[in-house]
Amino acid sequence: MNIWLLATGVLLLALLPCAIVIFRAATLDRLVALELAGTITTLLILTLAQELGRPSICDLALALALLSLPGTLVYAYFLERWL
Amino acid sequence: MSVREIIAAMLLGVGVFIELLCAVGVLVMRNPFDRLHYLAPATSLGPLAVAAAVLVAESDAQAKIKSVLVAVVLLATGPILTHATARAAWARLQAHPDTGETDQREES
Repeated sequence: MNIWLLATGVLLLALLPCAIVIFRAATLDRLVALELAGTITTLLILTLAQELGRPSICDLALALALLSLPGTLVYAYFLERWL
Repeated sequence: MSVREIIAAMLLGVGVFIELLCAVGVLVMRNPFDRLHYLAPATSLGPLAVAAAVLVAESDAQAKIKSVLVAVVLLATGPILTHATARAAWARLQAHPDTGETDQREES
């Protein structure tokens, strides 16, 4: 069995606790779980690119890693001021 | 399996296991400040281990460079996100100290 495929499956499994927290916990806890889910998804795309043998998919992981920063900062700013 | 593949598999296993452990930790803890601790290994050790696995296993230069870049970006942005989130949680706690937690508030 391919190790990259196995890693992708385990990382998908790691998204499940994040989903439970996002569905059930309080507002700031949800933000923390969202940040963790962003990191896990970035690594998931990285391992998936290795598994498929297409290095160009790594661009997606890089874009997600760069875009999750302003996304989460906007949430944090909003929750700090208005909620 | 060659030695290279075994080393790559071990590094990948370590990285993935760290991510899984952090996800379970976020699920188990009970308030945002405790949960934030689990973001630190998930944004530093996990990506570094996965990038090292790609470096060892892969021969393509593009994949190597991009995975290292992803790890560096995650390493740089992780503390910023943690700090911003903790600041937001602290501000909410200061604004409504009577609730004791930063949750269970539906009003505006």
